[in-house]
Amino acid sequence: MTAADTRAAVTAGAHAHGTTALPATPSAAPTRRRSARSVVGKVLLAASALVIFVMSVFPVYWMVNTSLQPNSQVRGSEVHFWPENGSLQNYIDVIFNYERAPFLPALANSLQITLLTVLIALVFAFLAAVAVTRFRFRSRVSFIIAILIIQMIPAEAMIISMFRVMDSWHLLNSIAGLTLVYVATVLPFTIWTLRGFVDGVPADLEEAAMIDGLSRTQAFWRITFPLLAPGLVATGVFGFIQAWNEFVFALVINPRPEAMTLPVWLRTFLDPNGGTDWAQLMAGSTLIAIPVVIFFLIVQNRMTSGMVSGAVKG
Amino acid sequence: MDSGAPAGDHTPTKGNTAMRKLGIVALGAAAALALAGCASGGDAASESEPETGDLRVWLVGADTPQDARDYLVETFEAENPGSTLTIEEQSWDGLVDKLTTSLSSSDSPDLVEFGNTQAPAFTSVGALLDISDDYEALGGDDLLPGFVEAGSYDGAFYAAPLYAGARVVFADPAFVSEAPATLDDYIAQAKELAADNDGKSGIYFAGQDWYNALPFIWEAGGEIAVPEGDGWDAQLSSPESIVGLEQVQDLMLNASVAPKDGDNAEPWTPYCEGDAIQFSSPNWALGLASGCETENAPAAPFVYALPGADGGAAQAFAGGSNIGVSANSEYPELAKSALAIILSDEFQTIYGENGLIPAKQSLASTLGDSPEAQAFTAAAGSAKLTPASPNWAEVEASRVLEDFFVKIAQGGDVAELAAEVDEKIEDILNG
Amino acid sequence: MSTVTRPEAPARDDAGAALPDGPPRPKRRGRTGARLTPYALLVPALIILIAVIGWPLLQLVIMSFQEFGRAQVFGAPPEFVGLGNYLGVLGDPEFWQVLGRSVLFAAACVVITMVVGVLVALLMRKLAAGWRLLVSVGLLLAWAMPPLSATIVWGWIFDSQYGVLNYALSEWFGLDFRGHSWLLEPLSFFFVAGIVIVWGAIPFVAFTVFAGLTQVPDEVLEAAQLDGAGPFKRFFLVIVPFLRPILIVVTILQIIWDLRVFTQIYALQALGGLAEQTNTLGVYIYRVSLGTGDFGVGGAISVIVVLFLVAISLYYVRQSLKEDR
Repeated sequence: MTAADTRAAVTAGAHAHGTTALPATPSAAPTRRRSARSVVGKVLLAASALVIFVMSVFPVYWMVNTSLQPNSQVRGSEVHFWPENGSLQNYIDVIFNYERAPFLPALANSLQITLLTVLIALVFAFLAAVAVTRFRFRSRVSFIIAILIIQMIPAEAMIISMFRVMDSWHLLNSIAGLTLVYVATVLPFTIWTLRGFVDGVPADLEEAAMIDGLSRTQAFWRITFPLLAPGLVATGVFGFIQAWNEFVFALVINPRPEAMTLPVWLRTFLDPNGGTDWAQLMAGSTLIAIPVVIFFLIVQNRMTSGMVSGAVKG
Repeated sequence: MDSGAPAGDHTPTKGNTAMRKLGIVALGAAAALALAGCASGGDAASESEPETGDLRVWLVGADTPQDARDYLVETFEAENPGSTLTIEEQSWDGLVDKLTTSLSSSDSPDLVEFGNTQAPAFTSVGALLDISDDYEALGGDDLLPGFVEAGSYDGAFYAAPLYAGARVVFADPAFVSEAPATLDDYIAQAKELAADNDGKSGIYFAGQDWYNALPFIWEAGGEIAVPEGDGWDAQLSSPESIVGLEQVQDLMLNASVAPKDGDNAEPWTPYCEGDAIQFSSPNWALGLASGCETENAPAAPFVYALPGADGGAAQAFAGGSNIGVSANSEYPELAKSALAIILSDEFQTIYGENGLIPAKQSLASTLGDSPEAQAFTAAAGSAKLTPASPNWAEVEASRVLEDFFVKIAQGGDVAELAAEVDEKIEDILNG
Repeated sequence: MSTVTRPEAPARDDAGAALPDGPPRPKRRGRTGARLTPYALLVPALIILIAVIGWPLLQLVIMSFQEFGRAQVFGAPPEFVGLGNYLGVLGDPEFWQVLGRSVLFAAACVVITMVVGVLVALLMRKLAAGWRLLVSVGLLLAWAMPPLSATIVWGWIFDSQYGVLNYALSEWFGLDFRGHSWLLEPLSFFFVAGIVIVWGAIPFVAFTVFAGLTQVPDEVLEAAQLDGAGPFKRFFLVIVPFLRPILIVVTILQIIWDLRVFTQIYALQALGGLAEQTNTLGVYIYRVSLGTGDFGVGGAISVIVVLFLVAISLYYVRQSLKEDR
């Protein structure tokens, strides 16, 4: 990833309009005399994409690779780049072994907490972001700065005081308590980022639409909201992953086994005394990663479809 | 709240009114959130009869066998009609944080297990109920002394031993068939094995592995630190300790090809690979080292207790668990009765039969009379612990000992390094 | 045309309370109503933040002036020690050493993460749909991998005895890396730690910036290109102004996260290296507070760290907010 790559990247694609929105059909791009350069550019682009993909995915591949092997094969001088003797046995053990902490209840807890967190955080943050971008009011700047400072507090330092607050409200071992904590930890980022996105949508657009006869509400939903979709998706994915993978608060605030979330469940595989079953741990990890991928695939279209709505095109 | 709770003179922190009020306000505002699940901790009905209840017992990791768990539940529920006992399995990871918060909360478990080195973090702060009065009934001087010490603070007894592991040496029977008689023989043998088998460790000794270095210091008459007046005097640079440390360096340099900065987390891996002829580890490694599935896997290891300087078993560091009653327990009497079951001969025998060292010395024979079991028993008998200072946890957290031994493994000057590390340890212990 | 700056700054609207447009369901036009609208919009977020963060935060600050250990957690009355905890930390030479090391390391990580992350985002914008999906999925998988497993797998990759990297270098490239410790030398240690951290952070940066890029109208870019602006000029004069708010928040977050990084360093230290040469701020915080149960000192360090972060980021924040005014 050198500057030259970027240059190539920028040059190569710049004239294929609508790049972000539409699958840039190569034939549609009216190539001038630069087709040779364009081909080189495309190859470079594809090569960079491949490199990024491989580097991102290698540890993930290794996790999955390990999860398909018997544990005895995981560590040792012989490195298995491919799951020889591969089987799904680890997954079966991990899901259906009820002697250890059960998987499905933890999954249910995690799903409820995470989805609620994303939903609530997005709605609340969206409202707040609109407030700080579309309105001028006293203490607006203080609010924005306070939001930023909140993110600087080391969460680990707050464990004790946060726990005591949750305890005093009788919110230990509940879905609501942990959701509340996650919403609070995700909100500052979400507000900050959505603020950037709302800011990026010119208020003029709505006004123009209103001149065209739309009501303010209609203008907002039809014009502004679609443009915010990528931002909502990006922050939603962020919130989802934060809540989904959070460990320390989940450990401390939901200590009862029936209130366990998946990251805490995963740690139960670490057994300093009996030897950790790495293969099962990786199978568990893979299971935990799958819902994130599903969530992303469901929402990812939205991230790129912001422009399709044509709001800006007109 | 309930009668029998002598939870010390300080009342556990229930929220003050200001906090309550704020809580109510925010709860109202966040009512929409509550739709997903009700708080399970909100059971406000105060129990008037402490005789029955649902006792919650935290056991950590998978070490306690299922038989023992079943025995505990059945016996407890038979002895205390109307009450139930639930075992909630916890994991070692993050245990101290979790205990710090949970034991102080309104939803405290009643009986909790923790590692013996973690015990001072809780015995010294009022987290546990004083069970000195039950000491005799629980087993008295028959209890493992090192663990009783770990579970006591300021003359009071807070946490009983639960079970122990002992550090023993595991050797590939193709190379070693007889235990060396003394520590010097052991060192000579390990070096010889390494010299004769190029590329293999005569004894696998990774640089960070300070637990396994301790016996050499102790056997030479040294200590890590000794109490001195109000504080502690670090002893690693004493002439005796230096002798032991030089033996450690000798082994690390001349008998081991383990990574100089590595840890000793899974020594059975190099054993199974044939890279390590011997390794030293808590006794629970036996199963893992016996079932190697590598090509040319070595046979199940020959096990012996690390020999002392003058024969017998060396003083080695002992791992294991203690168990105590939460000071916030709603049912302290029930918890004590469950504790009595846990320390009963019947329950402890199940540990012995599963290869863990029971909390009572008189039950050592339950380990069986296999050579392995005899090695475990011998090692357990001379087990020793780290300095009993509430600040010891900070020494471990600071990793000064790991750093110290990594430098020794790299061939540094022992006396110089020891003087340096003594200063650091004193800083922490007396800080 | 090449002087395109920001998209319309809403600030030029009437100086009054509200802009003409509003949220989905704005209050009726009444003057008081309009003035109250922004507050009404903020209420839900404010309640949660004050209740769940603000209140514990207050306690944390109070704690930082107290001797507050496990005994206090279990009810012993805490004793006020004034600035004792602060002076203890600030007077510890190790703290400054660790701080300096962390700042250097975090700076390197932030720069690399931001540069690579933005480049990946720009690349994604240029890619055809299929390739873009491939990159997105790759990044997402890296992001979705549980941090615990990621740390473990990276540990296996760099393991000196049975590591994948040493194996590959020795077996495939004929280099003698058998038993090579990647963590023993501090520089090498931080190189490895940097890879692990940057790897984990890039998906977030790339996705967020990519989402931001979708807001940059193509017309503006095309116009700039017609005006003869080269790719660099277009990037700095067109794209950056559009992305400014997002770039700032992402950069500041990276600074915050990288300066406090704990898990990766802590896990790597357990695998090798010398802790005294590789401790960072996060590890230091853990050691002197949570690891030992001294929550008062932990609170003091947190406050110091926040003040430090505020000091280094406030300039940019003000810059970004100034434009809003």
